[in-house]
Amino acid sequence: MDQSWLSVFPDTLRQLLAKLPEALFTELEEIRVREGRPFEVNAGGLHQFLTPDGEMTSVPSRAYHPDKQDTGRLLDLLTNHSLYTMEEELRKGFITLPGGHRVGLSGRTVLAGGRVEHLRDISGFNIRLARELKGIGDPLLPYLLDFRHRTVLHTLILSPPQQGKTTLVRDLVRLISGGSWRHPEARWPGKKVAVIDERSEIAGSKFGVPSFDLGPRTDVMDGCPKSEGMMMMIRSMSPEVLVVDEIGRPEDAEALTEALHAGVRVIATAHGTDVEDLESRPVLSKLIGASFFQRYIVLHRKENQLLFSIRDEQRRRILGVEEKEGRQRA
Amino acid sequence: MLKLLGAALIISAATAAGWFQAKQYANRPVQIRKLILALRRLQTEIQYGYTPLPEALLRVGEQSGDPIRPIFASAASQMNAPLNYTAKDSLQRALDQEWKGTAMKAAEKDIMSQLSHTLGTSDRQDQFGHLATAVRQLENEEIVAREEQGSYEKLFKSLGLLFGAFIVIILY
Repeated sequence: MDQSWLSVFPDTLRQLLAKLPEALFTELEEIRVREGRPFEVNAGGLHQFLTPDGEMTSVPSRAYHPDKQDTGRLLDLLTNHSLYTMEEELRKGFITLPGGHRVGLSGRTVLAGGRVEHLRDISGFNIRLARELKGIGDPLLPYLLDFRHRTVLHTLILSPPQQGKTTLVRDLVRLISGGSWRHPEARWPGKKVAVIDERSEIAGSKFGVPSFDLGPRTDVMDGCPKSEGMMMMIRSMSPEVLVVDEIGRPEDAEALTEALHAGVRVIATAHGTDVEDLESRPVLSKLIGASFFQRYIVLHRKENQLLFSIRDEQRRRILGVEEKEGRQRA
Repeated sequence: MLKLLGAALIISAATAAGWFQAKQYANRPVQIRKLILALRRLQTEIQYGYTPLPEALLRVGEQSGDPIRPIFASAASQMNAPLNYTAKDSLQRALDQEWKGTAMKAAEKDIMSQLSHTLGTSDRQDQFGHLATAVRQLENEEIVAREEQGSYEKLFKSLGLLFGAFIVIILY
C-alpha cells in the first residue's frame, strides 16, 4: 500500500504506527486521533487502541493519549502549514490528502448567520485510508446490465457507513468506463461516465485529477453539490452513465429525474440497511415509488467479506447474501 | 619606523570597526523596511493568492532579496519534507540560524518570533490581522532605528578614528 499518508503524522504518532505488525498495518482503515483521549486504530474492521509501546489493546486507559502538541502538529502537517488555504474544507469538515485519503475533523464551529463559517479548536481527527480494490465489482456488474439498450440499469446501492460502498462504486465506475462487463454476452464498448464527487471520496481528486483508476472514459466533477453537478455534467459533458454518492436531498431527486429524461443511466448510493428503510425517508421513498431504480444493491460486511443482495425494480430478491456468488473479499 | 607602522595599523583597524558599526546603524532601518514590505507581500499571497505557506515564503523571499531571502528560504525548506517541522518551529529555527546575517536587532526578531506562533494556523482574516500587527510593530521599530541612525551613525564613524588615535597616544 502507498504509505505517503504516514508523513502527515507527527513523529510520536508515526513511530507508534510504524510498530504495528505488517499484517495489521496493511489492513488499516481508520486512524483516530482525539486530543487527550486514547489513540485508536481500525484495522480490518477491528477497533482497538494503541499503547505507547505500539501494542494493540482494548483497554482505553492503557492507550497512548495524544496531547495538544500532537494534534497541533498533525493539523499543521495536514494543512501543509497553511490552514488558511483550507477554509472551504474546514467548513465541510474534512480534508482530502494526496492518494484520496480523507481526514474528517471535529472541533468547535464558528457560526455566521446560522451557518457554519469556520471550524476552530480542532481536536478530533479521523484519517480514513482510501483503498482501491480492483475486481470487487466483478461479481455484481452482470446483474446490472441492460442488454436491450446495451448499457447499465439505474442502480441504487445501500449500506451503512464503513461497509465499502465507495470502494464498490469506484470499481463499478472503472469497469463501466472501460467496458469490462464481466458477462460473455455483453459485447459493447465502455460508456462515458460522469462522477459527481461532492465529498472527493470516489475519485479522491487532488487539484482536479483523480487519484484512483476510474477507467478511460470518466469525467469527475470534484467537490460539487450533487444536484448542481448532475445538471452541469448532463449539459456539458454528454455522459451516458451518471454516478453520485449519498443522495437524499429534495433537489437530488429533481436532478435525478432530469437525468432520467435525458436518457442518462444513474448509479447512486445512499445510507441505509435495507430497501424497506427507504420508505420512511421522504426523498428516497418518492424515487422508489416512481420505480426510478431498476436494481437495488444492499451491502453488508462480515469479517472482511463483502456480502451483497440484489433486488429488481419490484424489489424482488434476485441474489441473496447467502449465495456464494455474492461474496467478495473486502 | 616599526612603531609608526603599528600606530597606522591600530588607527586603521579602529576606524574600520567604527565604520562597520556605523554601517550597521545605517542598514538597520533599510532592512526593517525590506522586512515590512516582505510581510505585506506575504499578506497578499495569503489573502488573495491562497498560496500555501512554504511556497509563499519562498516566493516572497525571492522578491525581497538579502537579508530576508535566507530567513524565509530556510523556514520554507524546514517545513517541507524530509524535515516536516511545524510552521512555528521552522520559522524560529530559521530566525536563530539566519538572524546574525542581518543588521536588525532583538526587538525585530521578537516580533518575527511572535508571528511564528500564529503563522499558518488560522483562517485568512486572522492571518491578515496578525501580519498587520507585525507590520505595525516593525514600523515603530523602524522609527526608532532611524533616530538611532541619526544620532549614532556619524558618531561611530568619528569615534573609531578617535579611539584608534587615543590608543596610539597612550602607547607612544
